[in-house]
Amino acid sequence: MAPPVRTAARPFRDLYYVRLATTGLGFLLFGVGGVLLGIVVVPLLLLVPGGSAARRLRVRRMIQLAFRFFASFMHHSGAISFSVVGAERLGRPGQLIVANHPSLIDIVLLIACTPAAGCVVKREAWSNPAMVIAVTGAGYVPNAPTDVMIERAAALLSAGECLIMFPEGTRTVPHAALHFHRGAASVALRAARIVTPVFIRVEPPSLTKHMHWYQLPDPRAHFALRVGGDIDPAEFRRGPLPIASRAFNQYLAAIYAVEAAGS
Amino acid sequence: MHDRDAIFSELRSTLVELFELDPELITPEARLYHDLEIDSIDAIDLMDRLRRQTGRKIASERFRSVRTVSDLVDTIHQLVNES
Repeated sequence: MAPPVRTAARPFRDLYYVRLATTGLGFLLFGVGGVLLGIVVVPLLLLVPGGSAARRLRVRRMIQLAFRFFASFMHHSGAISFSVVGAERLGRPGQLIVANHPSLIDIVLLIACTPAAGCVVKREAWSNPAMVIAVTGAGYVPNAPTDVMIERAAALLSAGECLIMFPEGTRTVPHAALHFHRGAASVALRAARIVTPVFIRVEPPSLTKHMHWYQLPDPRAHFALRVGGDIDPAEFRRGPLPIASRAFNQYLAAIYAVEAAGS
Repeated sequence: MHDRDAIFSELRSTLVELFELDPELITPEARLYHDLEIDSIDAIDLMDRLRRQTGRKIASERFRSVRTVSDLVDTIHQLVNES
């Protein structure tokens, strides 16, 4: 999708240039803020005395605060619009939050709404000097190797923390069929007390995998997060785990297929 | 279970139980991923089970070089006969 072109028949609409400026400023703030947070604020926070759990919580709260500021800036500056329904049900002990992954900022919006959440993050973050202290300090879980990811994600849930995972692993192409990796289902059946699906809809599609940040849709994109009903993983804990986790994964994928068909 | 035949037959019944596979498919030459559709996540569940059965933990690095059922039998054989 190319940026809109001005023609007599199709003038720029919905304040395209204003949105371009605020979107750019938003990402600039995010980049600069992220580096400052990663190399100054988080290391300082980690120096404040306290046990390892207290430190981890502190770092997660800081990240949540920063992401909340970003989400609020993007919304109030008119770069995007953003709504969330059911946020009060996010962040419970032993809760595994799963979500579809249509855009670049899904994790940012989701963390902004979820108190003290852990999450599974691309392993590359641990080789990024601006991110490594923050992701380590927050006790986030690298997505690879798979066996280590599953073990650590399950340990975090067993300890009563809340965890966010994207079963698709990577951002998806709009309107393509979803493919859920079984990792999230396996983690859910191993250790989650509750599994809560979050449905993310971006309309018109924006910040997708094959788009540049400056390719803004017309009208502006609306990011809608809807927290779905809780799933009790215990109902799926029957028989050997490989079979049970396949069944649970299919169940999750079916919920998202229904949601996509209904929208 | 110290000889390869015993390990193989025990492994076969484990695979049948865990993955609901047809026992006929489980031959020494069968490839775990391509023929039996045992992927990396299944491998973790399989290793958990093997650890309980053998009382020893297979290092995941060691498991990554395993391609066929017979490779796995060799790995378990080495493991149970170590130390």
